[in-house]
Amino acid sequence: MIASIRTGLKSQKTVAVCSVILFVLFSLTILAPWISPHDPVEVNLALKLQSPTWEYPLGTDHLGRCNLSRLLHGAQVSLGFASLIFISSLLIGLLIGTFSGYKGGVIDLILMRFCEGVMAFPSLVLILGLVGIFGPGLPQVVLAMVLVQWVYYARMFRGMVLSLKERNFITAARISGSSQWTIIRRHLIPNVLPPIIVMGTLEIGWAIMDIAAMSFLGLGIQPPSPEWGSMIHEGKSYIRSNPELMLYPGIMILIVVITFNVLGEALSDRFGVKRRF
Amino acid sequence: MSLLQVKNVTHGYGSSNLFWQAKRATVLDDVSLTIEHGQCLGLLGTSGAGKSTLGKVILGLEKPQKGQILFQGIDLYDTNASTRRHLRRDLQVVFQDCYSSVNPRMTAEQIIGEPLQNFESLSPNEQKRTIGELLETVGLSPEDMRKYPHQFSGGQLQRINIARAIALKPKMLILDEAVSSLDMVTQANILTLLKDLKTIFGLSYLFITHDIKAAYTISDALAVMEKGELVVQCEDKTQFLQLPHPSVQRLLQSILSEHPRSRSL
Repeated sequence: MIASIRTGLKSQKTVAVCSVILFVLFSLTILAPWISPHDPVEVNLALKLQSPTWEYPLGTDHLGRCNLSRLLHGAQVSLGFASLIFISSLLIGLLIGTFSGYKGGVIDLILMRFCEGVMAFPSLVLILGLVGIFGPGLPQVVLAMVLVQWVYYARMFRGMVLSLKERNFITAARISGSSQWTIIRRHLIPNVLPPIIVMGTLEIGWAIMDIAAMSFLGLGIQPPSPEWGSMIHEGKSYIRSNPELMLYPGIMILIVVITFNVLGEALSDRFGVKRRF
Repeated sequence: MSLLQVKNVTHGYGSSNLFWQAKRATVLDDVSLTIEHGQCLGLLGTSGAGKSTLGKVILGLEKPQKGQILFQGIDLYDTNASTRRHLRRDLQVVFQDCYSSVNPRMTAEQIIGEPLQNFESLSPNEQKRTIGELLETVGLSPEDMRKYPHQFSGGQLQRINIARAIALKPKMLILDEAVSSLDMVTQANILTLLKDLKTIFGLSYLFITHDIKAAYTISDALAVMEKGELVVQCEDKTQFLQLPHPSVQRLLQSILSEHPRSRSL
């Protein structure tokens, strides 16, 4: 019992620390336009590859742009679009998975075979293929990621609905005259939603890495807009002379992804929610 | 005209997919029975006899392979959706597992209010008042309407299930092992409540159970199912105990004596 209390307290501390880190990061992201010392896209070749100074706290890049300003504005893209991808794919997955699980039969058979077909490919390969078709650019990357990610959520929600629909309260709702959509809206969705908080913390970390990977490959956000993945891509030519150009965005990705994952693990331990994989 | 007529119902289960059809296991085999207005029929049988499947078929949840379910003279499975919906409000259910019968995220008010929302157009105040009255009818307090299922005991939850079932003033309730999961004292209280409701609202019951004592307490007529067949149907429950049919005798032998010394194993 003492061990379980210790584990509980440890998990509470982890959740608190991670939440504070994420709160600070999200605040900095929202306040980026006001707290950035410089314009993140303003080129000044006379100041290129400067070491940190009071005016440029993290130095400048190969085009003389302020590294700190670019990091702060890049966070808007990474965190903002990762959240957008998570929410969009989750909503699509929630609707399709819940509907498919509740209806069953041929509809479920077709939808789930489609999902399994998508899941048969590594998601990054499929995203690359779709971006290849849509063309490079952040909106296209977001669309491709949503198109690939929703199937995982759909499978998860469908599984939850399959076990829920066997419960008597669903049958009682049918007999009480509730329509299919009322049952889905009033009974199924509220009961499958709580694990989403846990899922979200785990999945946003993946989305940030995928966006960064796409930008690193030159398929995501296009220059001169700042984004952590594209900053690593631009800094790789200076890896020997100025490794900090890659290190700063790399460390930011590391901090955010690790924080989200540790928070997700702590929450999943606490609420007994399993990861999707 | 009888309230409910089950005519030669045959039903079975079997897994199948697009490419092959497995052999179906027959669960109901040519079952026929009748329930009159205000009558309670106790349907007895061991686990797997097909009692609950018959309940589902009567409730319109599973279409039988053969046969008819006539409720108030209308075939439930051979009518349009609007008539079926209209009939459904007169035919409600109470399940065995009181915990899984209620949505854990809903308050008692929302649970009991669901059928009212679907069928009655009451103002929020009227609906609240009706729910309060229903709670009082089943022996709970109107203050309980704000509580969630986890705040109730098993017996109280079953009362909430009963309140939901009678909310629309139905003509018939299917009580599918409605008291089986409760302790003896709560069982007796719920049976008394069901008897009172039957008198007050003129309800008919199909009381599905494996407990002959409970069935005998509440029912007017008794029937026994075995391996999907209705093997005994007795309109007068007092005569039921004298029936020489082996399945009746087995059920009677299964009753434990009050005194441990006179119990035979």
